[in-house]
Amino acid sequence: MRDTETIDATAAVAAVDIAETRAAGGRARRTRLDWRNWVPTAITFAVAALLWQLVAWSNPYVIPTLDAIWANLVANPAMYWVNFLVTLQEVLVGAASGILAGFALAVVMAEFRIVERAVMPLVVVVMVTPIVAIAPALVVAFGFGMMPKYIVTALVVFFPMLVNSLAGLRDADPKALDVLRTLHASRWEIFRDLRFPGCMPYVFAGLRIALPLAVVGAAVAEFVAAGQQAGLGSLVTTSAAQANLPVTWASIALLCLLGVLLVSLLALVRKRVLWWSDGEPVAR
Amino acid sequence: MTGTAFIAPDGGVRVEHVSKSFGPPDARVTVLDDVSLTIGMGEFVSVIGPSGCGKSTLLKVVAGLIEADSGTVTIGGEPVAAAARDKAIGLVPQAPALLPWRTVLDNVRLPLQVNRRANAGRALRDPSELLTSFGLGHAMRKYPGQLSGGMQQRAAIARAFVFDPAIMLMDEPFSALDEMNRDQQRLGLLDFWQSNRKAVMFVTHSVPEAIMLSDRIVVMSAHPGRIATVIDVDLPRPRAEADYATDAFRDLEAVVRGELHRVMEAAHA
Repeated sequence: MRDTETIDATAAVAAVDIAETRAAGGRARRTRLDWRNWVPTAITFAVAALLWQLVAWSNPYVIPTLDAIWANLVANPAMYWVNFLVTLQEVLVGAASGILAGFALAVVMAEFRIVERAVMPLVVVVMVTPIVAIAPALVVAFGFGMMPKYIVTALVVFFPMLVNSLAGLRDADPKALDVLRTLHASRWEIFRDLRFPGCMPYVFAGLRIALPLAVVGAAVAEFVAAGQQAGLGSLVTTSAAQANLPVTWASIALLCLLGVLLVSLLALVRKRVLWWSDGEPVAR
Repeated sequence: MTGTAFIAPDGGVRVEHVSKSFGPPDARVTVLDDVSLTIGMGEFVSVIGPSGCGKSTLLKVVAGLIEADSGTVTIGGEPVAAAARDKAIGLVPQAPALLPWRTVLDNVRLPLQVNRRANAGRALRDPSELLTSFGLGHAMRKYPGQLSGGMQQRAAIARAFVFDPAIMLMDEPFSALDEMNRDQQRLGLLDFWQSNRKAVMFVTHSVPEAIMLSDRIVVMSAHPGRIATVIDVDLPRPRAEADYATDAFRDLEAVVRGELHRVMEAAHA
């Protein structure tokens, strides 16, 4: 039984302990260097790369070879870095605004059902409108600066955050809620001590959907305003128009890298914050 | 030890003519039908009955979580809502319902951290001392997920005792545990309660559990939920595990089982 473990462990150590036990998922714990962890993945990537090269060698006007893409990347590091930073900024500012707005509205909707009834239909209408269609209109309204990019990015992030946070806030343990109610805890106290921490698994599930979407949003917004501003999305459209395929694919690779970075960072934070949660909940 | 200063002289729980039904008007189900019951200060009362007899609903009405259609409930002479405002009600739900992101100690502190206005002038317990007396001294810094089910339920009981409520409401607190564990927890609660007397309303479906713990056993019948009979448990206190084997205990067990049997028969007739 677990009671027999060292008893003087500090809370922090205990937290890490649980995180590790949970991460092991009940199976025999494997070390990071175990070949089963990385060899299958490596083989998949190697095969994909080989297939790519085969196609590229025989059809140089369809896709460039991987070495051509790589050569282009290392030949122009400053150019790619500048564009990467522009897109990163759009993603970070847009996603942060969308996340905060989505969560804030979820809190209000969870506390006041009437707000949900009043506002949700409008939110759904906005969200089923294709973002690709909204983007040009926003460029007309806000110009070719950063603003339309922030808005498009925030918009695509907003909905998954709202829906997931709302589900999480509603999913508070009813028995714990009973205990707090008999104590005559205030709404704020119930939010602070139960709903807010309890909704975090849902919030992180929402972020897992939202962050990759933020990259999509930023890229799409840049497509629309291509030729005016920097950014990896603009780079894709301008270079593709000039049939400069190595640049196109190098930019695509960087967009992909950006998404991978965000999702990895999120997984890291999740492990720190949500060590107490069993797994990812599924919202509606 | 029991700081009950704020309880009116007629303390304890008084349930008078409480009825409650659920469902749409054309298919209404009466769950509680004219239920009256008193629990005196320091009295341990178990409520037992077949499933569907409304025992959990009754507990929720007393806890102020469900509103009765008619009838009144007072705790320490006040209506339930006022009693809740004074933090006079300790609830132990069916599942431990501990917050998984808080340590056991911080879970037990929770009742002291909400509705702080009601903390004034009462005999709040020291959470770590209380956990120690519940045999959880070594587990205070652990998280609920690291504890066995029995330990979690003990922590949930400690959480209900920590703010020194006038009455304790326990809704089948041991029903999720395996039999051996259940008996151990039951005796632990008996021990603790015998030195910390409080009015307790204890919903259970275990006859030996009801007898071992209670001063009185309320037997309910189902459809609609009514009080069929009330049985006094006159076994001397303090009680201990050895009492299970006494003739008096076995006789009582036969009486309670007989009443339950009668209630079930009547339902099928």
